[in-house]
This record gives sequence, C-alpha cells and structure tokens, in this order.
Amino acid sequence: MNLAVEEAIPRMVGEGKSPSTVRFWHNSNTIVIGCFQSAKLEVNMDACKETGTEIVRRFTGGGAVYHDSGNLNYAISLRKGHRLVPNQNLQSVFQRLSEGAVEGLRKLGVEAEFQPVNDIQVDGKKVSGAAGSIRWNSIFHHGCILVGSDLSILGKVLNVPRVKLEGKHVASVQKRVTTVRDELGRDVSTREVRDAIVGGIESCYGVRVESGVLMKEEVGLAEELYQTKYSRLEWNLEP
Amino acid sequence: MSATKLERLRSADYKAPGGKLVRIRLKEEQGLIRSVKITGDFFLVPEESLGKLEKMLEDVPLREAELRILVDRFFRGTGAQGLGVSSDDFVKAILSAEETV
Repeated sequence: MNLAVEEAIPRMVGEGKSPSTVRFWHNSNTIVIGCFQSAKLEVNMDACKETGTEIVRRFTGGGAVYHDSGNLNYAISLRKGHRLVPNQNLQSVFQRLSEGAVEGLRKLGVEAEFQPVNDIQVDGKKVSGAAGSIRWNSIFHHGCILVGSDLSILGKVLNVPRVKLEGKHVASVQKRVTTVRDELGRDVSTREVRDAIVGGIESCYGVRVESGVLMKEEVGLAEELYQTKYSRLEWNLEP
Repeated sequence: MSATKLERLRSADYKAPGGKLVRIRLKEEQGLIRSVKITGDFFLVPEESLGKLEKMLEDVPLREAELRILVDRFFRGTGAQGLGVSSDDFVKAILSAEETV
C-alpha cells in the first residue's frame, strides 16, 4: 500500500488537489525494485522467501533497494513549475531535492554529500539512494535513507551483477553502503533522522513543513492504485 | 524467453559510463531483432516510452548504423529524457549482446 500512496500523492499534487508534500514512511522487510528492472534478474527469490522479504515495484526508475524498519523513506511531491525546480531536468531535480536530506544528515553529524546520478554518500559509501519522475503535471523525488538497516539481509536478497560492482573496488553491495547508525557510532531512531531531514528541508528551501495526515481523496486514490496495480504480481514481478 | 529453431537468444549486461546498468535480452533471427526486452537501473521519463523503444526495435537489423538511427529517432520523436543512460548506451548495450544457450 505504501507504494500506492507514493503514486497517489504526486497525481493529486499535479491536479492541484493536494499541496506540495513531503511524506515520510517505512516498510517492513521489502525489496523495492525500479520500474525498469527485472525482478527475476535483480532479486534472489529464494533468499527473499527464507527471510520473509516482499518484492514490490515502484513507478520510478533506478535500482533495487532493501527496506526494513531501520530504513527511512522520504518523498517530495511538487507541482510542475515549482520555484524549487524550475529546470525540469531529472538530474537537476535529484540534485536540488536531495539537498534537504543532505542538510538534515549533516545536522546530525553525518558528512553526507550528493553524488550524481542519484546517491547520497558518506566517504564513498552510499547512505541513501533517490529516484523520481516528472509526470502527471508534477515533480516527484523520493529517497530511502539507511538509518539502521540490516545490511546482512541486503547482501543476500539482492543479486548485483558483477559488472555493476566493477570499478568500485568492492566485492559486494554490502561493502559499498553504510548506515546513519554506523556513521554516528550510536543507535539512532528513524524519528530522529526524520526530524533532522525536516529541519534540513526547511532551512535549505526556506519553507515551513507542517505535519498532517493523508487526505481522504489521497487515501481513496491509493486504495484504487493498490487494487489495480501495486497488489498485482504482473506489476511487481514481470518482466 | 525461448527461441524457435531459426531464432537465437542474445543477452548483455552493459554498464553505462555513469554506472547505470542496461540489461538486454533479445531474440535475433537472421540478423534481425525479433523482440527485445530492456531492463536496468537507469532513468527514463516518461517511463512508458521504454515499451515504445522496444517495439520500434522489432525487425530492425542488428547493426550499428540502423540501430543508431532508430534510437536517435526514438529520443527525438518521443522527447524522452534519459538519465544514467543515453542513446549511445542503448545502441552499445544491444550490440554487445552475445548469444546465450
């Protein structure tokens, strides 16, 4: 249902029915694959069964990410033409709309920096990946931040082709990622990171973020999208 | 993907210069692409346009000149925007596909 909400919000923002929105959420054990990825090629199905990991596809491109309760997702939906992203170039969108998260992580003491195409890194290791789209008259950007995720499961459930790791001087995906917890050397909650990201977004973009709940229409659209798309094997697992 | 007697299956995992992966699985018959599936961790907007590219590639000779013209035409005609993948990467990925059993 989370991925259905992820699509419902930018659709509503694009129609002018919802305001510019930042949404925070997290999933239990789930692999979220990019819309162009092959589940069969990218995911170790046996390991998913063993670890109780779900597989779902999002509507944006980019690579597979592993979600668990130690992972914080944020999503920014703006109407097309918004002052923050006047240039509707996807690379500019990723760069600009990652700045709030980078600023938030820095406030926590993590030396984060945006790394094109779509990563936030700390000393060469990925702590967050972003994806996004420009559609439905909206600009959409979402990212997942590894706060205290179980990286041992990540290494098992994702099949990363050898060619992908070439040139990175590491032998596994597990060795090229890090968590906020590991960087700070202490336990840190997703709530603490969320609050820091909100602060980063407010200071970086000169906006005020007000907390709220999903609108009735957003929930209705998300339920429809869940029934017709995100709950279906043909969307999640094919090709 | 399964092939008939005359068809050959080809596949490639091509890494674009920015690090994104383009994975090709195609059926070739007597030098022509019969069907192709392009997957990977790149970005392309509008997202639905990838299916259009796959369709346009059907029955196209598996040769650089023809592929280049077609993929360039796809980007110009659809206004699609790639990130982490370019027209050149799609062409190179398809050309690098090797026969698989």
